[in-house]
Amino acid sequence: MDEQSLIEYVTRQRWYGAKSRTVSHSDVLDTVTIRQGEPQLSLALVEMRFDTGAHEIYQLLVSGGDGGRFDGLAEDAGIALEIVSAMRAGLTLQGSEGVAEFSPAKDFSGLGRELGAVRLVSSEQSNSSVIFDDTLILKVFRRLEPGINPELEILRFLTERGFRNIPALAGWYAYSGGPLTATLGLLQEYVAGAIDGWELALGEIASAPESFLDRLGRLGEVTAHMHSALGADPSDPAFAPEEPSVESLGLLTATVDEEIARVFLSLPEDDERLAPIVGRGEEVREQLRLLTHAGSSGRVIRTHGDYHLGQTLWKGKDWIILDFEGEPARTLVERRRKRSPLRDVAGMLRSFAYAATAAELTRGADVPEDWEERARERFLESYLETVDATLLPPGDAAIERLLAVFELEKAVYELRYELDNRPDWVGIPVAGIERLMHQAAEAL
Amino acid sequence: MSEQWFERDPLWFKRAVFYEIHIRGFFDGNDDGSGDFRGLIDKLDYLEWLGVDCLWLLPMYESPLRDGGYDISNFFALHPDYGSVEDFREFVEQAHQRGMRVIADLVMNHTSADHPWFVESRADPAGPKGDWYVWSETDERYPEARVIFIDSEPSNWTLDQLRGEYYWHRFFHHQPDLNYDNKEVQEAMLEVLRFWLDLGIDGFRLDAVPYLFEREGTNGENLPETHEYLKRVRAEVDSRYPDRLLLAEANQWPEDVVDYFGDGDECQMCFHFPVMPRMFMALRREDATPIYEILDRTPKIPDNCQWGLFLRNHDELTLEMVTDEERDYMYEEYAKDPRMKLNLGIRRRLAPLLDAGRDEAELLHAILFSLPGSPVLYYGDEIGMGDNVYLGDRDGVRTPMQWSGDRNAGFSRADWAQLYLQPLMDPVYGFQAVNVEAQLRTPNSLLRWMQRFIALRKEHPVFGLGTYKPLPGDNTRIFSHIRTWEDDIVLCVHNLARSAQAVQLDLSEYDGMVPVEMLGRTAFPPIGELPYLLTLAPRGFFWFQLRQEEQVE
Repeated sequence: MDEQSLIEYVTRQRWYGAKSRTVSHSDVLDTVTIRQGEPQLSLALVEMRFDTGAHEIYQLLVSGGDGGRFDGLAEDAGIALEIVSAMRAGLTLQGSEGVAEFSPAKDFSGLGRELGAVRLVSSEQSNSSVIFDDTLILKVFRRLEPGINPELEILRFLTERGFRNIPALAGWYAYSGGPLTATLGLLQEYVAGAIDGWELALGEIASAPESFLDRLGRLGEVTAHMHSALGADPSDPAFAPEEPSVESLGLLTATVDEEIARVFLSLPEDDERLAPIVGRGEEVREQLRLLTHAGSSGRVIRTHGDYHLGQTLWKGKDWIILDFEGEPARTLVERRRKRSPLRDVAGMLRSFAYAATAAELTRGADVPEDWEERARERFLESYLETVDATLLPPGDAAIERLLAVFELEKAVYELRYELDNRPDWVGIPVAGIERLMHQAAEAL
Repeated sequence: MSEQWFERDPLWFKRAVFYEIHIRGFFDGNDDGSGDFRGLIDKLDYLEWLGVDCLWLLPMYESPLRDGGYDISNFFALHPDYGSVEDFREFVEQAHQRGMRVIADLVMNHTSADHPWFVESRADPAGPKGDWYVWSETDERYPEARVIFIDSEPSNWTLDQLRGEYYWHRFFHHQPDLNYDNKEVQEAMLEVLRFWLDLGIDGFRLDAVPYLFEREGTNGENLPETHEYLKRVRAEVDSRYPDRLLLAEANQWPEDVVDYFGDGDECQMCFHFPVMPRMFMALRREDATPIYEILDRTPKIPDNCQWGLFLRNHDELTLEMVTDEERDYMYEEYAKDPRMKLNLGIRRRLAPLLDAGRDEAELLHAILFSLPGSPVLYYGDEIGMGDNVYLGDRDGVRTPMQWSGDRNAGFSRADWAQLYLQPLMDPVYGFQAVNVEAQLRTPNSLLRWMQRFIALRKEHPVFGLGTYKPLPGDNTRIFSHIRTWEDDIVLCVHNLARSAQAVQLDLSEYDGMVPVEMLGRTAFPPIGELPYLLTLAPRGFFWFQLRQEEQVE
């Protein structure tokens, strides 16, 4: 395939992340043949160079040799099956610049049998997924960054620690060589017959509020177990809990404070929905300063990184936590950075606020007025009872304050996002910011 | 293989903000009273937050420290106080992970007299290292070469009793110059560069490069042989290590310094020394003329090169590149106490030079950030740290970074007496008054302003990449100019006076455009054909982006 058609092909894809940039060159950095026989199947690392001198590397799957069709995955189920059998066999395949290693996860029996039905489910921002027989899902990472993928890293770690509320890891494949060292994809258990936590919330908030609160109590426990497990191994440098630097609270405060100042500077003055907070930027900043006046911020550990109801599944009688990739817009290094576990907790609490409003807006549900408050209480109560307390700042007051700072950070981000994208939803972050101002005033 | 954290970008340094660090003074990671690489790693989150792109480390090599480490006794090892080579590798990796590059000082011109090369050269004139330094039977050669450290060195020659010959040194007598006419010396230095490049370093600030060669009948500065060798260094680096930077320290007039850029095939960056004293002069005289003049005198440089600009650094504020009259003026205004003078310069930090003036600090940073080049900040100046003129040599501007109001300024947990230098304790600049922790928490602090200002500059590549056009108005107290890159047009107007000023600028070329102030995003009245009138607060400045009317709401 010539350079021009390669550029045309890649830039058309949904997972191509640099749509606003001008591509000056494209180059196949390496090709690894996965199957020799007809049709020949291989994976290719393709570099897109931009006129600014920067570059990105993508993984493409090719079916049919040199003049072959790019992206076999969409059109040819064979290549996905071939990748799985390479994992099963633990193959190492040679490219010209490096090697692709395929590895099975320890003790995963589901890999041993023949796979049948294959369907391509999605091409998302960063990866494409294929499901086999409704039991296994293969995620192929498209935009490649150097380093281990956090999803693989965390699933492996949690599995070894005996944390069961995740889909089991079945295998993975990775490239190492001149162009870069990166995780290319992973295979995991497909959780069939489960309900997405967000959908469940929208359905049950109004129809079965009490039983859903019980479920959130359980979610608090599961979240706590997840954090305790993530902070349980001081011997593994990638996971060992750390004391944050002396400045960490100061740096966090300064960052959130600047963001508040920026958002409030450009807040439209004539929007009724903004009335509760408009012109009160200085007050919000004052509250933030009071919240961070003193105190420890606990220890930092690896976290989920993008935690909300949409990342959970309810299956049978328990929760399953999904997607440890972190926020997709951040770099891999940022996504792997250790943070306070309370940042995940704040993310989940904010998503309760969204669920309550979304149930009203999209389902016309009649949500009990105190539902969000009670949901927060149930979740937090069971979380704090269960989690390894040495990961958190000492004392309830310090925990509340730090949590409020993270929630404020999220709510301010939401405010900017909703103003730009979904003005109808702007009331959610507005209410969140208002609530935090009251809470901060009370806490002091 | 080393992991690559950056997108390839050979011109990264043109948009970068640099931050100069004295390792010994930054943070003590092992409680021995002296800063080190473990400590630096602990403070990377702070530097990332501040927004700087490239850390420049003062000399870190093994050294008897008779010249702050610029007297290297082993190029392949770190000074033990700073940690191990493994610590250094970890530091570089951690900095890269946070999006920051690292360059380090390297002294090519000379070594410490303790270096085994010199020890061998003295003892065995006929041996393999006998010719690695510049030896002479007389001290009469190269008489045109000036003495640089006039306060301490009577001559560039010193008699070595052991060998019975004189050796050449452009700096202290305990720093013999290497003999670059010897091919083995040239090779040995390339070996040094490769060693550190292999550890992941992003480049070097080459110390004292004008003096590598000596020739009779010349002043021994900027010789063609020196340029030839530097070009060879560049070619060697480029051939194996992409996106690395060579930054030359050549304290010379701009017309001589530009030779160090070659045709874009020598050093990518050079410091612009003469512009710095002129910023201070302009501020004191309340007159923009010295800045306009020196920029007019600055030749064009190749597109793939960049000036390095600074207000203060670890050395004295050097006054070599000013006239005698200007020097007297500077001493008079900025060094009232003779202790403040050193060699041809003033050994003070930024804040004391400005009498702790906040408006002055902001104004000078605005001018620095608006000029064509990449700004270099000196550690501690972002919080307005002071100096101690009672300490010897340049130690006065190298006291510990003031992290907090805690014991030892939060710099170290060692005993107070054990610290390499004690942090400042005076009521104005002492660590109780001036520290990172307090300023982080104070939204209007100098530190918070610097962070915002760095972010603003980085949002606009025009400051690193754009053209410069002076735009003097009808008021000499105002320094105003235009920077342009692609569609981005920025008008920078600075009031050097202590009093409010008005200025009329001829902006007719931009008729119909709207100046939008960049810090507060306020639109000003559109530009017409008549002179554009601006009023500025004392020591105030405006940066405007000029936009087409329809782009402004």
